[in-house]
Amino acid sequence: MSHHVSIKDLPEGGEKFDPAKASGVITPMLGFGLLGLFGSLYYFAAKPAEFAYSWLFAFFFCFTFVVGGCFWILLHHASNSSWNVVIRRLFEHLANMVPVIFIFSLPILLMPSVRNALYEWMVHHQAAAEHATNGDVREGLHHMSESNPHMHILWAKYGYMNKTFWYIRFILYFLVLGHIARTLRGKSLKQEQDGDIKHTIKSRFFACRWLLFFALTATFAAVDWLMGLDYTWFSTMWGVYIFAGCAWSSMALMLLLVSYLRSLGYLRKVVTEEHYHLMGKLLFAFTVFWAYIAFSQYFLIWYANITEETRFYLLRNTEGWRWVSIALVIGHFVVPFVFLLQQQLKKKPAFICFWGVWVLSMHVLDIYWNVIPERGPSLGIGVLAPGAWVGDVVALVTIFCLSGWYFLRSLNKYSLYPWRDPRLIESVNVVN
Amino acid sequence: MSTTLKRVHGYLAEFESVHDLYHAAEHVRDAGYSRWDCHSPFPIHGLDVAMGVKRSKLPWIVFFGGAAGTTTAFLLQWITQNIIYPTVVQAKPTVGVWSLPAWFPVMFELTVLFSAFTTLFGLLALIGLPRLNHPIFASKRFAKFSDDTFFVCIEARDPKFSQEGTKSFLEKIGGKNVELVEDDI
Repeated sequence: MSHHVSIKDLPEGGEKFDPAKASGVITPMLGFGLLGLFGSLYYFAAKPAEFAYSWLFAFFFCFTFVVGGCFWILLHHASNSSWNVVIRRLFEHLANMVPVIFIFSLPILLMPSVRNALYEWMVHHQAAAEHATNGDVREGLHHMSESNPHMHILWAKYGYMNKTFWYIRFILYFLVLGHIARTLRGKSLKQEQDGDIKHTIKSRFFACRWLLFFALTATFAAVDWLMGLDYTWFSTMWGVYIFAGCAWSSMALMLLLVSYLRSLGYLRKVVTEEHYHLMGKLLFAFTVFWAYIAFSQYFLIWYANITEETRFYLLRNTEGWRWVSIALVIGHFVVPFVFLLQQQLKKKPAFICFWGVWVLSMHVLDIYWNVIPERGPSLGIGVLAPGAWVGDVVALVTIFCLSGWYFLRSLNKYSLYPWRDPRLIESVNVVN
Repeated sequence: MSTTLKRVHGYLAEFESVHDLYHAAEHVRDAGYSRWDCHSPFPIHGLDVAMGVKRSKLPWIVFFGGAAGTTTAFLLQWITQNIIYPTVVQAKPTVGVWSLPAWFPVMFELTVLFSAFTTLFGLLALIGLPRLNHPIFASKRFAKFSDDTFFVCIEARDPKFSQEGTKSFLEKIGGKNVELVEDDI
């Protein structure tokens, strides 16, 4: 057994992050982020329809980390587990990026040119409003479906798929995630003041209740923003599929973040190879979980071969997208599955960091594959919309670098781990 | 009975607590013994480290067992669906591997089944079960291993075993009632 760490070995007040030490990463992130921001402004002005998809892709990619952050802190509290105490604060910070991500969602919420390019049903609703006598969209859709039977589905879905409810849900997702993140970090910080165990217990009760609302939020956000790109398509596994990616990628990001902080000299006393192993195991678990969900969704649609369901995969299994789909099967599942199987390797930080980078790149590809294939057919600009990928990169750099910059800058406010948590020592000395 | 030949199994020493057993295990490990074991009424966390037990080879056996399951299922379906008796089911492709998604459930199930079998039978083979008897049961005191006593047994087939040295070693590290276990041949 390794040396047993006691509370006396750890610094009073925890470890405070000094952003000056990380300026090698923070400054370039700000630089690239600002460059990207100018690029994005240009694209929003020049090609709003094409760039809308780029922005949605980049925004949703970063949104998944917030969802994942919320999930892991909720799960840690709800399952009353102790090993994660030393990394919980970092997940709390990740979850508390909700307001920043909300700012990046504003173009989708506020710009009609972006919304209408992404969501065809909104265009149809506008036409229906003009069509109807008194501006009643539902009635207009009913009239339109007499001449165009394809509109019937919009009439039938009107109860959920209408603009008012869409706006309400849009705001509600951020409120729910924000509430979860703020409350759990708030209790954790209060414990740092008074050291009272009641905050741990209250957090557990809170987490058990709010897991339900979290699940609804993650599911319907995925439905509204991604599945809504094609209003005719539906899959009941969609929410779980996106959630699997969220949990997977945020764990990978956490592994990289912890390793980066350790390389700067932080967390050395509290995070051990055992934590790497535990996080690696969860990374492995969600590799399998994602594959299970992704395959089940594909399999049911492929096998049943029903016209209204197959469109999603027809689009992604033809032309160049076919190779992206195959690359996802191999890169998102087979390769990490085989390499993450071995126990000893999961205890090696360098090894697990390599797979963290791999996982993040596969997650980018996954979200890209979900959003971007809709662009060409929806806008009528060919399958791959030549040259549009530059906008995708610009949007990704903008949102990822600016959020990353803000995240690292704000790390210094509190201790990097909850230093008065009653189970800190248990977590530091964890063996598995 | 008195003239029966006996075979020495090894020395058995008693310990009163987990703490004693744990540290005794560390001493035996450090003394370089290889054929020995600890016995306790319940699992003790970290005892494998204290004993210096190496990681089991079983995961590798299971990996190849599982891979064999995947391959078997793939071949079973590919040969029947593509070579022996191609059948069109729901307009799905029959030639080549593009009906692969349909084979996945069986490939998954056989992977699980073969892994489970290799786990169970590999484990039994590695730990030498099933067997009808064990020489250590010749000791009358040993029955207490499932009640309230902790034991260390150093076997006679260990290269470092010696009749006097091992006994005094066990006594030195805190072993009580050190007993030479002899089994009827």
